[in-house]
Amino acid sequence: MPAQTETSGVDSGWIVSRLARPVPMRTSFVELRNSKLLKQPLRLSGEYQRPRADTLVRQVHAPYRETTTIVTSTGGAGQATIVRDGKSRTVSLARVPELAVLYANFSALLAGDQTVLNRYYRITTAGSRERWILTLAPKDAALAAKVRRIVLYGRGAELRCIETEQAGTGQTQRTLLASAALASDGQALEALPALCRGEV
Amino acid sequence: MTPLPPWIRTLSALLWLVMLIAAGWMLSQRLTLSGDLRQFLPSAQTPAQALLIDELGNGPGSRLLLIALSGSSPQTLAAQSQALRAELAADPRFNLVANGGDMALDAIPERLRPYRYLLSATLDQQPLDAEYLRAELAERVADLGSPAAGLIEPMLPSDPTLETLKLVENWEPQNPPQRLHGVWFDRAGQQALLTAETRAAGFDPSGQAAAVSAIQSAFNTIRGTTASVIALSGPGAFSVDIGARTAREARRIGIVDSIGLVLLLWIAYRSWKAPLLAVLPLASAGLAGLAAVALLFTGAGSEPGQAVHGITVAFGFTLIGVVQDYPIHLLSHQHAGVSPWATVRAIWPTLATGVIATCIAYLTFLVSGVAGLQQLAVFTMTGLVTAALVTRLLLPALIDPAPRDLAASPRLQALWRLVETIPHPRWSLLALAILALLVLWLQPGAFWQNDLAKLTPVPDAAMARDAALRAELGAPDVRYVLTIQGGDVETVLQASERLRPALDALVAKGTLGGYELAARYLPSAATQRARQARLPTSEALRTSLELALADSPFLADAFDDFIADVASARVAVPLRAQDLEGTALHAITASLLLTRHGQATGLIWLNGVSDPAGLATTAAAHGAQLQDFKQASESLVASYRTRVLLALAVAMVLLAATVWLALRAPQRVMRVLLPMVLSTLLVVAILRAFGVELNLFHLVALILAAGLGLDYALFFDHAGLDRAGQLRTFHALIVCSLITLLVFSLLALSSIPVLRAIGTTVALGVALNFALALLVSRQRVPR
Repeated sequence: MPAQTETSGVDSGWIVSRLARPVPMRTSFVELRNSKLLKQPLRLSGEYQRPRADTLVRQVHAPYRETTTIVTSTGGAGQATIVRDGKSRTVSLARVPELAVLYANFSALLAGDQTVLNRYYRITTAGSRERWILTLAPKDAALAAKVRRIVLYGRGAELRCIETEQAGTGQTQRTLLASAALASDGQALEALPALCRGEV
Repeated sequence: MTPLPPWIRTLSALLWLVMLIAAGWMLSQRLTLSGDLRQFLPSAQTPAQALLIDELGNGPGSRLLLIALSGSSPQTLAAQSQALRAELAADPRFNLVANGGDMALDAIPERLRPYRYLLSATLDQQPLDAEYLRAELAERVADLGSPAAGLIEPMLPSDPTLETLKLVENWEPQNPPQRLHGVWFDRAGQQALLTAETRAAGFDPSGQAAAVSAIQSAFNTIRGTTASVIALSGPGAFSVDIGARTAREARRIGIVDSIGLVLLLWIAYRSWKAPLLAVLPLASAGLAGLAAVALLFTGAGSEPGQAVHGITVAFGFTLIGVVQDYPIHLLSHQHAGVSPWATVRAIWPTLATGVIATCIAYLTFLVSGVAGLQQLAVFTMTGLVTAALVTRLLLPALIDPAPRDLAASPRLQALWRLVETIPHPRWSLLALAILALLVLWLQPGAFWQNDLAKLTPVPDAAMARDAALRAELGAPDVRYVLTIQGGDVETVLQASERLRPALDALVAKGTLGGYELAARYLPSAATQRARQARLPTSEALRTSLELALADSPFLADAFDDFIADVASARVAVPLRAQDLEGTALHAITASLLLTRHGQATGLIWLNGVSDPAGLATTAAAHGAQLQDFKQASESLVASYRTRVLLALAVAMVLLAATVWLALRAPQRVMRVLLPMVLSTLLVVAILRAFGVELNLFHLVALILAAGLGLDYALFFDHAGLDRAGQLRTFHALIVCSLITLLVFSLLALSSIPVLRAIGTTVALGVALNFALALLVSRQRVPR
């Protein structure tokens, strides 16, 4: 049974079913990475590819070139191989659990697999089918200590932006996808959060 | 002296038995059994031997247990590997548990973090200047944007060049197994691999047994309902396995022996009281021996931590075959018309001579200087003397003064007549002796067994698996080790650092798989000070940082912690080995750096040695020595054996002297000594003819057999010319030898080499001694 929404108008089952994309697929992204060490958020642009169901490739084109290949397995553990300037480093996803989870979500979303999402998150929805907001709050305490919540914004069948609120630093990391990513081209950094939320 | 009524006699015997059982129980409560095999090794003569004895028990190879999990999907195995590691790491019985998972950053506690600039070799070639910082910071920006950001971000303010990560990566074992799902797996990807280093020394079987059972029970809890299987390998696991096998066999043999003993005695004497009476001196002897060893070797005067060795107790109980003789002689000679006291007085001189002679032989062990053999000597001697005294002083009061006269048995008489027809051998024995000598001379193959490993046999399959696991894990070799001697730890570390490039070259060439040394974790103070000198001052660093941050996305004050850390590293006192206490590094460096008698020794563990000679030359060129434990242990065994043989020769001379003193007639002395000497020669020849290499336990068993032979010969001689006496002696000796043969034949069938060695030697000795004593020592009834 799909989780019921607070404000009806759209239910999560409909959203997730619309988001499913068959492999192979690709989509551009623009990522805003906040850190208190940085003068301003880091703005990365590149492309996500999903050649197979268990593999996610994140290619960064600007401001540096980097390719990350994440292979997730059914146990939840997996490996991320980061290649930059010809040097490669492999990180076990078990070391960075929030990463494992995030990428698992991404795959689940793209596969249209709501049971996985339901298992790990409390799902609430808002908005309408034309402009919807899907909020995921982690059920697991250990994960909740790292990630307070994940908010997905979209229009119709298109996922436009993912906002991740970190529990520890309180920072919000945003990833704009698809049409929002393309629309962000040329926009100032300050305008991007609004673009993400779909206010523009 | 009037004999006691039968019911009193029986009651007293039973009472005595009950007292023995109670005393035995009390003793076992107070007794600690040790399994430390080093008690059976002599003190070392050469430094290599000293290192061997010290380190063979404590060294890396002997304390490492290799664990392989298989039988489920790799993900399940990986999860179980992590769970097992977590549980064992919390167990105080283990120093270090590794599975390739992340112990990573917490290997370095907070207080040691600034030292990373002194421990890491990065800045040896690369100055910490603006160029370098700019490149590093650019990388860090990308890192922040990458999926690894969560891992890296907390470290950045104080460690922008990620020295901590570099250190942890460098501390990974050389040639680690591949990592799947975050933990080590074998090349095929089917088995999850772990290593566990026990706190207990390799020479301590009970400690190892505790560790092994801890692993087994932890795994059983973790396994749940999955089909996973655990396999343990390593010296500790093998010794536990063999200990269990030995205990099982010893128990089985003990039961069969007891049943056989009771049965034989019942058949021989047709009385149920006979087994009871015969067992009493035996049990008393065993108890007295145990008590004597416990008193002498674990009392306040002895070294702390010494305990009665399990081998002593086990060997001592083979006394069954020897001590049984005394009550049997009494029982066989007793007949109606003679008081038991008279009987025992009549056989006492012969009995006593036998006891004294055997004790003299064992006396030589007392001066051998080896704790285990000394315990054996005390046990045996006390047991023999106790049994003899009990037979002389207590048993006559309890035995039936008028049993059936064995001399009247028609079967026995027929048998004896048969024996009498056998001619007295003259030249046939000489021919036999020459044949034996020829066999000894001509038999190819090693005479002596020097290989300690052969004493604890491990099935070939298990050895192969151990070698495979060791190769996969890059675990240290058990046989070869490099040592560097120096006046103090600092000298050793500097020498190690000079040696490292040469070893790296060998690894690159492929003649060495890998190595492990303390200098890899703890640079010498000289190196640390050199690195300190290369670190920039705070002002210089600040300037470089400003330049590097000029057009960087990072905030200008983001790296103040970094400047502080470098400043404290510049003035810090160089790290010493003791500063590492409390960290995971300490466990490794403590076993690689030894300080003893004002000397420091650095150990370099090796893996995959395929060219020992080349390695030895390279090592010697840089002040290190290659130790070959196999060779050292063999030389130890050889020198040991020389001493034991010398002691044996002395024992033989003393034995002959005792017999001479007792008998005084040269003809009789010859008749008594000849069977013993000839049978010893024949036993050795037979063993060699079958290709058996002789070891220490064969030697000890030869003494035992010689003592028995002397007993038989003395009794055959003593039986004199009285026909009835001869018959009774014949009966006694048949029963004695059958019982001894039973006990030791069972041992000879054991799969444990030590038990097999003792069993075959004594069984052969008994059979030959009986035959030869029968042929040679008996006196001729003149026709």
